Amino acid sequence: MMDFWIILTAVLVASACSILGCFLILRRMALVGDAISHAVLPGIAIAFLMSGTRDSMWMLLGATAFGLLTVFLIQTLQTFGLQSDASIGIVFTALFAVGVLLISLNAQHIDLDLDCVLFGEIAYVPWDTWTLGGIQMGPRAVFMLGITLMVILLLLGLFYKQFKICAFDPAMAAACGIPVLLFHYLLMGMVSMTAVSSFESVGAILVVGMLIIPAATAYLLTHRLGIMIGLSVAVGIVSAISGYLVSYLLDASIAGCIVSVAGILFILALIFSPSSGLLVKFTRRSSSARTAS
Amino acid sequence: MNRQEQDKPAAVPHMARTDIQRKWQSQTKTVGLTLLLALLVGLLAGCSGSGLAQEGNTEGKLSITATTGMVADAAREIGGERVEVTTLMGPGVDPHLFKASQGDIRKLDRAAIIFYGGLHLEGNMTRILEKMAAQKPVIAVTDKMPREQLIGTGEGESGEYDPHVWFDVNLWKHAAEQVRDTLIQEDPDHAGQYREQAERYLEELEKLHQYVQQRMNDIPEEDRVLVTAHDAFGYFGRAYGVEVVGLQGISTAAEFGARDVSTLRDYLVEREIKAVFVESSLPARSMQAIIAGAAQRGHEVVIGGELFSDAMGEPGTEEGTYIGMVKHNADTIAEALQ
Repeated sequence: MMDFWIILTAVLVASACSILGCFLILRRMALVGDAISHAVLPGIAIAFLMSGTRDSMWMLLGATAFGLLTVFLIQTLQTFGLQSDASIGIVFTALFAVGVLLISLNAQHIDLDLDCVLFGEIAYVPWDTWTLGGIQMGPRAVFMLGITLMVILLLLGLFYKQFKICAFDPAMAAACGIPVLLFHYLLMGMVSMTAVSSFESVGAILVVGMLIIPAATAYLLTHRLGIMIGLSVAVGIVSAISGYLVSYLLDASIAGCIVSVAGILFILALIFSPSSGLLVKFTRRSSSARTAS
Repeated sequence: MNRQEQDKPAAVPHMARTDIQRKWQSQTKTVGLTLLLALLVGLLAGCSGSGLAQEGNTEGKLSITATTGMVADAAREIGGERVEVTTLMGPGVDPHLFKASQGDIRKLDRAAIIFYGGLHLEGNMTRILEKMAAQKPVIAVTDKMPREQLIGTGEGESGEYDPHVWFDVNLWKHAAEQVRDTLIQEDPDHAGQYREQAERYLEELEKLHQYVQQRMNDIPEEDRVLVTAHDAFGYFGRAYGVEVVGLQGISTAAEFGARDVSTLRDYLVEREIKAVFVESSLPARSMQAIIAGAAQRGHEVVIGGELFSDAMGEPGTEEGTYIGMVKHNADTIAEALQ
C-alpha cells in the first residue's frame, strides 16, 4: 500500500506539473517553479509572526498568498516590457531577501527553514493521512494534488484554444479579442497553486524538475501543442513510476531518482529526437557533406 | 510520407525546413522513436524484474526500527534475542538533517514498533513519526522524561527542549525504561525476559554513570571546560559538573558567525583552556579557525580528540554501542584536560 500511495502521488504531481510546464516552456518561463520555491519565504515568516506557530495550515496559507503574489509580480513586470528571465530573477531574489530579513529581525532563534516548515517529503506521504468523520481517507497529499490536477484539467479543457493562442502569439490573441492578460494571470495562478501544494506534499526538487524536464523533453519531440502536452505527461508519468522503482533498487531518495530518470529521458530525446535530435543533426550533416562531394 | 508531412500545418514558424532535411528526418524518425521505446521498455522490465517483493519475516521476532543508534542500542539490549532491530541513521549521520531513502521508509513501514529520540531531534521527520503513531506503536523514548529535568532551549515556542538527553546517563535510564515498558506492553508473553534484561542494562548504565563522574572528577576543577563545535553536550555538562561552551547553536543547520569565533577565541585565551574537541558528525573546520586565532594571541590550544555527539561509531567497534561511545567521550575529555 505504501508503494501504491507514493507512486500515485508522484504520478499526480508529474501530470499536473508536466501539463503546466508545456505552457511555461512556450512562454519562456520554465524557472517560475524554482522562483516560487524561494519567493514564498516571506509568506512563511509573516504567517509565523501572525500566528505564532509553525502549524502547516498557517504555513500553507502564507506560502499560497506569496506564491500568487510572486507570479502576479512576475507577470506585471513582464507586461511593463521586462524580459521574462529578468522579471523572474528580480521578483524571486527580492522576495527571498525580504523573507531572510524578516526572519533575521524577528525570529532568529526559530528553525524557520523552508526545508523544515514548508517542503514535504514524498517518502512520508503514505502516513500523512486525514480522516473524515472517523473514516481513514488515505494520504492528504493525494487529495490535495488530485483536486489541483482536476482544476487544471477543467480550466484547460474549457479554454484550451485561448490558452494555446496566448502561449504562441499573444498579439494575435489580442487581435482576436481574447483577454490575453487574464489568461496569463490565470495560467500563472494555476502554476502557483500547483507549485505550493506540491511543495507542501512532496518537496521542492520534484516539483521544479517536473515543471521543466518533461515539457522540455516533449518540446524536442514535437512542436504541436496537443501532442506536446500528451508526450510531456507521458514522460512525467514514466519518470515517476520508473524513478520509484530505481529508488527501490538503489535504496536512494525517491524524489532524486524520479527527477534523475526524467533527466535521462530528456537526454535520450536530445539524442534520438526525430526533429531536433543530435543523431538527426549528425546524419543530416554527413549527408550534406556527401552530396557536396 | 514526405507529402503527408508537408500537408500538416506547422505549429510554430521556425519549424519550416528544406526538403533535404525532411527526407532525413523521416528516416531517422522511425529509428529514433523505436530506440527510445526500446530503452524505456528495457528500463521498466529491468526494474520490475526484481520486483517489490516483501522481505521474509524475522522468525516470530519482534521487528523494531529505531531512528538513532543510541535508541537502537537500548532496544537491542533490552529486547535481546526476541527482537530484530534496524537503525535508520548510521554512524556519522546528523539526525536534524536526515533524509529518508526508499529503503528507510520500508524499514518504517515494516516495523512492528518504532522508537525515536523525540524532542524534535529528528527534525521534520518528527511530524510524520507522530502521525504514524495512529497506526502502530511509535514511541519517543524521551516522552516520559520528567520535563523539569530537561534543558529548555529558552527561545522560540514554548515546550522546546534540548534533545541531546543521552549524554546524561542517569536521564537516559528513563529512555531504557520507556523501551522496556513498550516491549512488555506489545509482547506481554515475554515480559519476564524483558524485565530481566532491562534490569541488567540499567545496572550497566548506573556503572557507566559512576565511571563518567569519576573521570570528570579526575580533572582539576578549574579545567573542567568542554569547548565543542555545537551545543550537544548541555546535559553532559550539567550532569557531571563540566562547563560547556559551544560554537554553534542547538541545531546543526544554523551557521556560526564571525562574532562567535572571536568571542570563543578570547574565552580560550582568558581561561587558558588546553584543548577543544571536534565532533564525529560535524566538520572540524570551524574549530581549526579558533585554534589558529588563539595561537596568534600566543595561547596554544590542541584538538583534544573527536567526540561522538549525534551519532555513534561504526557497528562492531566499541564506540558502536551507547556505553562504549559515552566511555570514549569521557576518556577523551579526561585525558585531554588533565
